[in-house]
Amino acid sequence: MSSESLFVMNNALNNLIIYNGYPFSVVVALTFHTLIFVIIIYLQSATDADTMELVQPTIIKALFIDENPQVVNRQNLERQRIEQQRQRDLEQERQRQAEAERVEQERQQQEAERQRREEEQRQAALREREELERQQAQQRRREQEQREEELQRQAERAEQERLRQREFERQQAQAAAEAAAAEAARNEFELVQSATGLIQQVVQENWSRPPSARNGMRTVLQIRMLPTGELLDVTITQSSGDPAFDRSAETAVYRAAPFSELQSLPISVFNSNFRSLSLIFEPDDLLN
Amino acid sequence: MSEGFNPIELMLNASPPVQLVFLILIITSVVSWIIIVQRWLVLSAARKGVFSFEQRFWSGMDLGQLYKEGTQMQQDNLQIVGMENIFRAGFKEFMRLRQQAVDKEAVMEGAQRAMRVAYSREEEKLEKHLPILATIGSVSVYVGLFGTVIGIMNTFLAIASQAQASILVLAPGIAEALLATAIGLFAAIPAVVAYNRYSATLDHVTSSYITFSDEFSSILHRQIHST
Repeated sequence: MSSESLFVMNNALNNLIIYNGYPFSVVVALTFHTLIFVIIIYLQSATDADTMELVQPTIIKALFIDENPQVVNRQNLERQRIEQQRQRDLEQERQRQAEAERVEQERQQQEAERQRREEEQRQAALREREELERQQAQQRRREQEQREEELQRQAERAEQERLRQREFERQQAQAAAEAAAAEAARNEFELVQSATGLIQQVVQENWSRPPSARNGMRTVLQIRMLPTGELLDVTITQSSGDPAFDRSAETAVYRAAPFSELQSLPISVFNSNFRSLSLIFEPDDLLN
Repeated sequence: MSEGFNPIELMLNASPPVQLVFLILIITSVVSWIIIVQRWLVLSAARKGVFSFEQRFWSGMDLGQLYKEGTQMQQDNLQIVGMENIFRAGFKEFMRLRQQAVDKEAVMEGAQRAMRVAYSREEEKLEKHLPILATIGSVSVYVGLFGTVIGIMNTFLAIASQAQASILVLAPGIAEALLATAIGLFAAIPAVVAYNRYSATLDHVTSSYITFSDEFSSILHRQIHST
């Protein structure tokens, strides 16, 4: 009996490996790889949001915000402005509350007065019908006034709400504009960094120090340039005390010019950073 | 840079030689899996065939009856695997030679030769494609390493052309390069495991074939000398 069942199983396997099982294996292999591919894509889409959050704040950008006095200044001003705005809003709120209290008091006084008058009316009802009617008319008019006042107050409140809303929108727009400006400044900073690095490198390559150079010497040159990168002039703003050293620095700058890399910079960046540039020369790698 | 390191994006953005390596490795991986599955079917069928045929053979059934069953199976378009083929080859040759009434030793020799031929044909069937698996297992790692080296080389060339090298320039290139090794390992590991597993199964099955053909020839020997 058992041999019979094994025989049947053998037949089933036999049927499975018709054509030596190649079509089946191809399907299995392709399915397996597709599955892995899909899993990778799925995991990626699941973790995408997290990585974005993690990558957002880079150190360079934060450093820059601290270092640029212009932006810091602007931010301080902005912060002050926002603070003032907030205080003004608070003040307005307080005034509005006071107004509301005052109106409420008035209303209560009027209420008391009205009651008193009703009392009088009741006492005087026997005395004077005309008087009563006149008073009633007066009362109606007062109520009318009160209602009008209420309406006016509501309109005022709506107006204030609308103003506040507009102010809020304006602040948001300003914040967005500010972020955009900061982004632009950051790009500019990167450009300036790389250009400065290039100039430094070229000048260093062309600088041959005189034998009289010593550690601690320091020469500061002021160079003026054109947007094409050409050198206008070089002036020594701080001499090292050694004429040969000063001269070598000057020669290095002349030899390194023109700085053709500056041509690719936007003109605004050039104007604000490179029209005149200070270069510091100090040999700090000498042995003596 | 904020979209993270998506493996698929890395692959698509890689340089052409590295992309070629990726392509080769993925094709290799698919091929190795095709072979793994196909060999698994064939070898497990062979192993089960050994088991079931031995049961039938030693159940005391008449050998002529067993042979006729096999012929019936062939007529039903069922494949006859492994040990039964050896049995059929030996038995057929034995009967044919005995009818011609040649010398007893020549009959035995003829039957044994027929079984040897059938055995080597069966072994060949089982061994087929296994060398490819071994090659994939050992080579795809090197192909992956090649991709990594090329990728890192490209990255360093890219850094050389920049004034200021930053980790942001370096990182995607290195990641792309390492992905090549990862895919190489991904293709190699299953291939090596399957190759080792299958050669063990192959050894087991072929040794039982040899044992069976020896046993069977001793039965035939007994039969020819008893008459």
